[in-house]
Amino acid sequence: MTNKERYQQAFSALPSSRQLHLEVEEMAQIQKKHKKNIAVAAAVACAALIGASGTAYAADLGGIQTKVNIWLNGRQVEAVETPNENGRSFTFTYEGEDGTESLGFGGVSIDEDGNETWLNGDELVAHINESASVEKDGDGRVWAYYYDQKTEITDLFDENGVCTITMTHEDKTIQLEITDNGDGGYAFTQTDVSEGAKTLSTETKFTTKSGVYTTDD
Amino acid sequence: MRQSVQELAASYQGSLFAAAFNVCKNAQDAEDVVQDTFVQYYTTKKEFESEQHIRAWLMRVAVNKAKNVNRTFWRRNKISIEDYMETLVFETPAAETLFETVMQLPEKYRIVIHLYYYEEYAVREIAQILKLSESNVKIRLSRGRAMLKETLKEDWDDDK
Repeated sequence: MTNKERYQQAFSALPSSRQLHLEVEEMAQIQKKHKKNIAVAAAVACAALIGASGTAYAADLGGIQTKVNIWLNGRQVEAVETPNENGRSFTFTYEGEDGTESLGFGGVSIDEDGNETWLNGDELVAHINESASVEKDGDGRVWAYYYDQKTEITDLFDENGVCTITMTHEDKTIQLEITDNGDGGYAFTQTDVSEGAKTLSTETKFTTKSGVYTTDD
Repeated sequence: MRQSVQELAASYQGSLFAAAFNVCKNAQDAEDVVQDTFVQYYTTKKEFESEQHIRAWLMRVAVNKAKNVNRTFWRRNKISIEDYMETLVFETPAAETLFETVMQLPEKYRIVIHLYYYEEYAVREIAQILKLSESNVKIRLSRGRAMLKETLKEDWDDDK
């Protein structure tokens, strides 16, 4: 028996995985063609991670700081963008309604060969600005935000906890399919439905306030 | 040229799963990798010259995705490779030992060995899939073989 035969005999023990082709087509239909959906999910997940690490982490941030304008919950704020020590995520510090607040973001884009590349600060800012957000306020009302647009969606969810709305900023119209996770968070798929737009959707898996914290200074 | 996902899944799903498993050492992750690879094929507008071109592209994407799984910091709760091996049925004890020995190799040797011995790719093709130089592939192949020989002894021949 040759080495190849031995090797193939050994690895023939691996089971053939399940039939995938129908699932693939369904998934592709859902995701449509988007390369950065994971980037958005990763970005917000990272925000949660940084938030959990608390204010001491923010105070330790160094590196080059850049002033950027970002849209957060319907409000454009001037923020200071500071790269994290790992060079992959960034902290955005801005004057919030309750004082100085910081958000951490990091994300990846994926090329056609499946390689992941960490987004730089400019790409992250573009992502943050182009992405809608969904938040529940202190009174329990749920709001969707897109640039300067703000829509209350508290009563729009159907029996499955899903609501679909469209929002427009300048010449761009997006459709949001928002799902209530039931744990205070909301997941949504954002699709550009502007006339002549390429099919593009992004998916945000986490929308919570956990990434927001106030710095000591 | 393009082929349907159904056709490609019938031909290459097992190969992609084996390669992905070889890299990430987890069956669920490997299944996800295979599915993501086919989704990427389904959504890409890339044109392919031949079926071999598609096969090599699928393999490269699957290997890259499997490497990404290894790098990500939110991994699923993993079943150990030892526990997973208990669910597999090997034809002979020697086959089980070979499988176990391969899975203990460092990843960079493991995937080269796998593409060479399981997929029967030539060194040049492996270099293209992994985006390595041919000399680098030869070195990894040689070192991987030496490690296998050291453990498997008479159950592994000295390949040139």
